Amino acid sequence: MSNISKLLAAGVVSFGICSGALAQESLKIGAPQPMTGPDAPFGVKFKNAYSMAVDEINAKGGINGRKIDVIIEDHGAKNPLAATVAEKLITEEKVLVLTGGRASGQALEIASIAQRLKTPYLVDHPSADVITAKGFEWVFRNNPTGSIYPEAFNAFISEVPGALPKSVALIYDNTVFGKSIGNSVKAFLKSKNVPIVSDEAYPVNSLDFKPVMTKIKATNPDYLLMIAVSTTDAVLMTRQAKEIGVTPRAFVGFGGGFGVVDFAKQLGALSDNVFSSAAWSGNPNEPATAAFYKTFKDKYGFLPKEHEVEGYSAIYIIADALKRAKLTGDLAADREAVRQALLNTDMTTVFGKVKFGAWTGPLGDQYTNQNIYSRDHSVLAQWRNGELLNVWPKAESEMAYILADNTTTR
Amino acid sequence: MGGDFPGYTRTVETFVQSLVNGALTGSLYAMIAVGLTMVFGVMRVINLAHGDFVMLGMFGAYWSHALWGIDPFLSVVIWAPLMFAGGMLVHRFLLKDVIPKGELNTLLYTAGLSLLISNLALFLWTGDYRTLNLAYAATAARPFGIAVPIPAAIAFFMAIAITGGLYLLLSRTDIGRAMRATAQNPQSAALMGVDVERIDMITFGLGTALAAAAGALLLPSLYLYPTVGEILIVKSFVIVVLGGLGSIAGAIAGGFLLGVAESLGAVYVSVAYKDAIGFVLFLLVLLFRPAGLFGVGRS
Amino acid sequence: MTRLLAAAGILALLAAPFITSDRFVQHLMILVLFWTVLGASWNLLGGFAGQVSFGHAAFFGIGAYVTMLFYLSLGLSPFLGMAAGGILGAMFALPIGLICFRLRGPYFSLATLAVAEIVRLVALNWEELTAGPMGLLITTLPPISFAGMTVDWESKAPFYYLAVALALFAMGLNYAVSRSRLGAYLTAVREDIDSAEGVGIDTVRTRLLALALSAFVAGLAGGFYALYFRYIDPDAVFAVSLSVEMIFIAVIGGLATTAGPIVGAVVLVTISELFRERFQAGHLIFYGLFMMLVIRYLPEGIWGRLRRLIGAQG
Repeated sequence: MSNISKLLAAGVVSFGICSGALAQESLKIGAPQPMTGPDAPFGVKFKNAYSMAVDEINAKGGINGRKIDVIIEDHGAKNPLAATVAEKLITEEKVLVLTGGRASGQALEIASIAQRLKTPYLVDHPSADVITAKGFEWVFRNNPTGSIYPEAFNAFISEVPGALPKSVALIYDNTVFGKSIGNSVKAFLKSKNVPIVSDEAYPVNSLDFKPVMTKIKATNPDYLLMIAVSTTDAVLMTRQAKEIGVTPRAFVGFGGGFGVVDFAKQLGALSDNVFSSAAWSGNPNEPATAAFYKTFKDKYGFLPKEHEVEGYSAIYIIADALKRAKLTGDLAADREAVRQALLNTDMTTVFGKVKFGAWTGPLGDQYTNQNIYSRDHSVLAQWRNGELLNVWPKAESEMAYILADNTTTR
Repeated sequence: MGGDFPGYTRTVETFVQSLVNGALTGSLYAMIAVGLTMVFGVMRVINLAHGDFVMLGMFGAYWSHALWGIDPFLSVVIWAPLMFAGGMLVHRFLLKDVIPKGELNTLLYTAGLSLLISNLALFLWTGDYRTLNLAYAATAARPFGIAVPIPAAIAFFMAIAITGGLYLLLSRTDIGRAMRATAQNPQSAALMGVDVERIDMITFGLGTALAAAAGALLLPSLYLYPTVGEILIVKSFVIVVLGGLGSIAGAIAGGFLLGVAESLGAVYVSVAYKDAIGFVLFLLVLLFRPAGLFGVGRS
Repeated sequence: MTRLLAAAGILALLAAPFITSDRFVQHLMILVLFWTVLGASWNLLGGFAGQVSFGHAAFFGIGAYVTMLFYLSLGLSPFLGMAAGGILGAMFALPIGLICFRLRGPYFSLATLAVAEIVRLVALNWEELTAGPMGLLITTLPPISFAGMTVDWESKAPFYYLAVALALFAMGLNYAVSRSRLGAYLTAVREDIDSAEGVGIDTVRTRLLALALSAFVAGLAGGFYALYFRYIDPDAVFAVSLSVEMIFIAVIGGLATTAGPIVGAVVLVTISELFRERFQAGHLIFYGLFMMLVIRYLPEGIWGRLRRLIGAQG
């Protein structure tokens, strides 16, 4: 036992020396992400986004002359591993601030540790409401919460004449993500007296949606709302819904899987007219977004979507806070300084406007340090010819919505 | 949850559709399970890397389609023999020396192998999700108003053909007889002049080939990523044990039974508990038939 | 010889937090002890009795949820909760054992897997009881004092010593069983269950006893997990991968030995940390490879082989 301790201690000491030397030079940001396991593709998205942001910032001279550095650690989508790597980033790597997490379960674990170990954590993608609803003063979130996701959809069906569904079939995955959004949507629909003819929770990463689609077909819904945290679920359920012959007036997808480039690539014509309610769906008419799109595409070869822009913006938000924070070299004091700086954030990123505050969410959650512009970030978009274009709110729309769905044969 | 089923025809349609869904899915489950049960029957090896062999078959079919435009169903002709050879190599150089160390050790060895293969695939091909879109598969066939997705239907018939071929192999050929003899009693088989080591190698190769073929058939109906084997292996296991370890008929029956049970369970009981229904059924069967439905061979 | 080793080991364990004040190293040590408990738990049933269970996560998860719910909903002391978790885990194990012990070999193993998966799905869907996928979170642990000092839950020390206590208890249980008549019966069951029946051993009762002890320890570990990691959800505590990892620890360490679990835990935790450090995204490739090599060349486990070499016992 003692030999292993010595080995580990030696490792730690050499680490300390290395990081000590670097600490004078670079400002460290820690990012637990899934780099192995079924969530691996998302980890890669964030890695790309972070490195693009870091390169840009460092090329412009860094923060007050110092470079920034994002240290990614793999948590393989497992909660205890997320705890381990968060501790490691905080204690060993001595990062100033954390970001990332990706899935809500891991993010909650990381948030709990960040709060206890007094290190700021800027949530960039995980959406469980509870992460910013526990009064953790060290945890901040830029992206919308699960219960806010459907805002644009809610606005759409309320404001557009004839868009209010006559009946709704709702299917969501059995995760925090699926449940939060599902509950939020249900609450809103109930308030509008829309009958919910089907309310099904499915196990995430399902191999087969034919049975549930058969069940839903029998209820003949006007709208089919599909919530999926996993891209594979999103693609498979849409395809099988159409194969089985569910013919609602509108297919509406909630979740990252419906908003990624893969969705249209893999479904082809079957993706046409599917709505996607996402946390972000950039408007290329805005110069900042267009510039971001172009740089990203040039560097990586495909257009960025929700995850990439969230990661990219998170680094910019952190950089902004680091710039304003008075760093003295004392780790605890510096982290507190960064936290204070984050509290005073008031800026615009490619993702949208950012300012953290305390407010109440649509399901009654008491948020702290949640981006007050979150409700504006919810956007309803629609797929057309392999492109995802915003349709609601009207002010940000890129094309007129198409409501009757006619890509299935009967 | 759920609404009223308007109309009698709708109710019948839903029921028939559920049965068809179950049969289609079940056929694919069965194909994956057959290779696993055969390997266990002859060699008493529980191969936890079996799901990853399926994944390799899926990747094979994917790449031969993406790069050379070969239809995945046709690609079985390429990948099954290749994976047969691969399986034999795995047995000869990896498994053969571990098997004498005990069933649990062998099982854990294959678990390590599974990690190795799936993460190697992740490293080589990234974790991106991929699906295969066949031009002729965009719309489902609708005989009598029942939706039958075309890839699933093709897979169904091919699975039947392949299993039929396997049955012929086992019952009509010398090798097949040798395999069955080894499954029943390796010592006696050896006494009768069967080269048990060679049969083991061939069996493992065959099991791997079947896994790869199942993967190629499965790909157009599902999706692909390096760790997909993880989900498939648990299901396959349940089916293999449900049908009776070592029994090919059992694996097939078990596959269909599970497919139909899950399908009907999802529609008439609960979608959320769909997988649990399979497990409960599994436990019930074992309660009354502790060696599985067609439990054969040594205990 | 072994007694000396054991005594030295225990002293080292107790002194460890004073050797290094690095939180992360302490965290790793806690992880090692945590996995030791789990490996020891599995060892009781799988090692001594030879019953390969793929469903131990069920008992672990039950322990975790009982502890969480006792604390969060009933406001009871977490220690009480942990004990309750262990007991409820053991109680749950009994009917499971009665059903599953009718089955042999892989049939038994798969049945235990099926049970664990059913429990996981129930926990996922029975939201009124478990909050389903949302999980349960502890934000503050209760202010209690121990030996006149208030326990500082933010430091690793209380958890470390709790883990040491659990690990010593689990290993002690292994030791006691191996030396007892129960242990002899279990060996008989493992080697040849029919002959064991033949000489008059009540194999069902024997196995149930081993199962109950095993489940109790797993339940305790679950309670510890809840308190240390502060957040549980069904996928974290009922996962099949957890059951499999337990088996790895027990087997790599050395089945049916007392020190096997801790050796297995030390090796596996260190290796996985080192590999993650060194190989980044490809670390599992090497982890799998390592697994394969150890089993191939050290089929009786690392400690199993070592103790033969040094002529030790247990």
